[in-house]
Amino acid sequence: MKKEWYAIALIWLGVILFIGVIQLISNHREPSQSVVDISNKPNRIVSLAPNLTEILFALELEEQIVAVSSDCDFPLKAADKEKIGTFWKPNTEAILAAKPDLVITLWFEQQKAVADSLKRLGYRILTLKIEKIDELLTAIQNIGTATDRKAKANQLLKNINSQLNNLQLKLGSVNKVRVLWVVQAEPLRVAGRNTFINELIQLAGGENAIGNTLQQYPPIGTEEILVCGAETIIQSAMGKSDIAEQQKAAEKFWSKWEHLPAVKNKRIYVVEPDTVTRLGPRLCQGVELIARCLHPDIFAQKQNTAQ
Amino acid sequence: MAETLTSGKLTIRVVICLAVLVVVMCLCAVVGTQEISLKKVFAGPGQKPGENIDYEIFVGVRLPRVILAALVGAALACSGVILQAILRNPLADPYILGISSGAGLGAITAVIFGITWNFWGGSPMAVFAFAGALGTVWLVWFIGRFTGKSQVTSLLLAGVVINAFLSAVIMFLTSIAKSDQLRLTIYWLMGNITEKSLSVLGVSAACILAGIFALFCISHRLNVLTLGEEEAKGLGVDTTKTRAAAFGLAAFITAVAVKLSGLVGFVGLIIPHGVRLIFGPDHRQLLPVSGIIGGIFLVIADTLARTVFGQEQLPVGVITAIAGGPFFLFLLAKYSRKVSWLK
Amino acid sequence: MSIIKVENLSFGYRSKEEILKEISFEVTSGTFLAIAGPNGAGKTTLLNLLCGLLSAKAGSINIDTTPIETYSVKELAQKIAVVRQEFIPVFDFTVVQVVSMARTPYLGTFGFESQTDKKFINEALEMTDTARFSSRPLAELSGGERQRVFIARALAQNTPILLLDEPTAFLDLKHQVDIYDLLKTMQQEKGKTIVAVTHDINLGAQYADVALLLGADSSYQHGYAAEVFSAEQIERVFGVRGFTGRIDREKFFIPLGKFAKDSSQIGRKPDSSA
Repeated sequence: MKKEWYAIALIWLGVILFIGVIQLISNHREPSQSVVDISNKPNRIVSLAPNLTEILFALELEEQIVAVSSDCDFPLKAADKEKIGTFWKPNTEAILAAKPDLVITLWFEQQKAVADSLKRLGYRILTLKIEKIDELLTAIQNIGTATDRKAKANQLLKNINSQLNNLQLKLGSVNKVRVLWVVQAEPLRVAGRNTFINELIQLAGGENAIGNTLQQYPPIGTEEILVCGAETIIQSAMGKSDIAEQQKAAEKFWSKWEHLPAVKNKRIYVVEPDTVTRLGPRLCQGVELIARCLHPDIFAQKQNTAQ
Repeated sequence: MAETLTSGKLTIRVVICLAVLVVVMCLCAVVGTQEISLKKVFAGPGQKPGENIDYEIFVGVRLPRVILAALVGAALACSGVILQAILRNPLADPYILGISSGAGLGAITAVIFGITWNFWGGSPMAVFAFAGALGTVWLVWFIGRFTGKSQVTSLLLAGVVINAFLSAVIMFLTSIAKSDQLRLTIYWLMGNITEKSLSVLGVSAACILAGIFALFCISHRLNVLTLGEEEAKGLGVDTTKTRAAAFGLAAFITAVAVKLSGLVGFVGLIIPHGVRLIFGPDHRQLLPVSGIIGGIFLVIADTLARTVFGQEQLPVGVITAIAGGPFFLFLLAKYSRKVSWLK
Repeated sequence: MSIIKVENLSFGYRSKEEILKEISFEVTSGTFLAIAGPNGAGKTTLLNLLCGLLSAKAGSINIDTTPIETYSVKELAQKIAVVRQEFIPVFDFTVVQVVSMARTPYLGTFGFESQTDKKFINEALEMTDTARFSSRPLAELSGGERQRVFIARALAQNTPILLLDEPTAFLDLKHQVDIYDLLKTMQQEKGKTIVAVTHDINLGAQYADVALLLGADSSYQHGYAAEVFSAEQIERVFGVRGFTGRIDREKFFIPLGKFAKDSSQIGRKPDSSA
């Protein structure tokens, strides 16, 4: 009896190894990279994410864009383009029907699967990972190279950097304001230090009220709230409901914690989400938006908005 | 003289069902959010990408999906037949003995720990889900053996215990996941049919078909197994070995299906039930016919999932649940006089 | 030639207890053995030992001169067919499907019945008079009809030995007699060895050639049915008083309780001596 179990187990292992070897071999044979081929200037570009679309428009590629994902809404002209499914589930057939010569995708699983399908059919794919500010800057450069808009890309990068520098100058050596960035109200989740939101906060002259955490967006409890000493609370608006309403709701929600400096000084803000949750060319607008919340005094003095 | 199932009769029925499957697959491959014309498809691929989109859509997107749906449907339906036989319960499904929580745990582990290696032609989630499913099944079998010679009750108890424990772990991991990781996992777990490469399809097809064939070879013993432990032994069936083989093979093909498409529900529960109501409980027939009808069902469900809302694509699991329920009720109403235990 | 040979067999479910203690008996091929005894004496246990479901703690069982442990499950099923209480299977198999399962020990790889298999199946259906409802599911039959189906299955298995555990427990008088008639026919016409556990002493005595009377105290009596089923033995082993009567060469025993109407009959010896 025992011998048969061993035999069965060995056979299974053998089958699995065999399959694994076949897969390894076939993986090597498949074209593995989306080589950025600069020989042809792409004329029909498909973008699968809102921030990618914004970058493309910023590089003045509006005419070359043939289709975008359905949640691309900035600039307004983006909404008029053909739709190819959502950010989460792109529709491969629609992408094919748009006859692209370059498809730009993000790096996460769902989009990677679509990218693989298209690659197998011989399409040119550019896959980018944009989860931090420096990754965004690299992505802008890569897109510039792929679309033969190197000059524009460099210009855009220069602009972004100079705007950020100006902002730093304006802020000078101001005291860092402790910020609690609320991502979700129930249960309460905040942005931790290992997020790009944290990067934005730091650029805007702030400091995350939450210390280092294991999770990127940890749920926090009452104790941490009491201890964090947040001087400002910022929440990005959710969904399409009215921001003023959300502002009122947030103020009501936080009124419980009257000892928090943020609540005492009424420094609770609900902000427009797009510039702060989308890592794109409007980065500086996002940072400035946050800076206004953190240091309203500095911005009240100067009339001109740096843009 | 009395009517018995002969290999001749079975072959004819299987061939007819296969023919229906092929027809359905072809019809569904022609349907989609983009209109394509078959004439253009037959013209063959263009010189470069974009020349003959009809061909590209048909061969690159639709055919792989339709083939995948058929394979997953067949695997889940056959696995459902086997689990219902082993547990002597027409309400069992392929996920009942830990496969779903094992797969879920594997998938969420891969996502949380940010594992990115792509191996065995599958995303890390898929591969870990596969390993998780098989590992859990082995654990359930081991505990079942430990507590009571792998008899039905002990298997069920072990399954319940493992499911509970793994669900707790999954809940914990879920609580610490990032929102987009979370969304990814849940979405994957809802069951999706996507386009895969030919090599992945080929290997998966080989695994699933081999598994189904092996199960077919023991299906006459499964008939006997459903009579009970003592009766089966009296009729010359080694119950432990047969159960182990059946369970192992069913778990294997289910794990392959889960690796390919996440947890598609309902197929493994209603198809065997429905086929049994119409064709009777003889597993030599029930198994292959359920497999083929499972394939047909999922092909149609997937076609609906990708066309019913236009650009918005639904996970196929949603369609199987919505379509499956009423369909099964209808079958039940029509054939209920045949079902003895309902009375 | 003894087709079943039991030597010094002992068995208990828990380590301290012993339900069966050093039992030895032989069953010659082609005989009808009735096993009787009070509840808990170990009749079903003995049956389960004989068909290989349980393993003896001590002693040996030989089936057809080979020790029972050396048989594989399949080989043993070709020697012994077991009939237990009828039941309705979870899945609604038809009569012919259930009877066909008897051929499992003989089927090829894919499990399809050959001509020989079909012959045995049809014969079994005819002999038990179940052919007329062969395509009906078991749930639609009466208890008696179902029991005949299970017996048909045992017959289709074509084994030299048939073990039955109270085959007529819930059946009406006609069915009881019919089934025992069938078993006796099997023995006499086909040379099968029948071992039947029964609560019904009288039927046992009527049909069996030899009998094994198990006592609750692990004692046992083995011998010709007429001798074993004597009034003294029955009264002693079962602990019940009764009336023994005789019609021709057929003896019968009727248990009498406290409220028996004609108590003067208790203890009366039969008219002519054995």
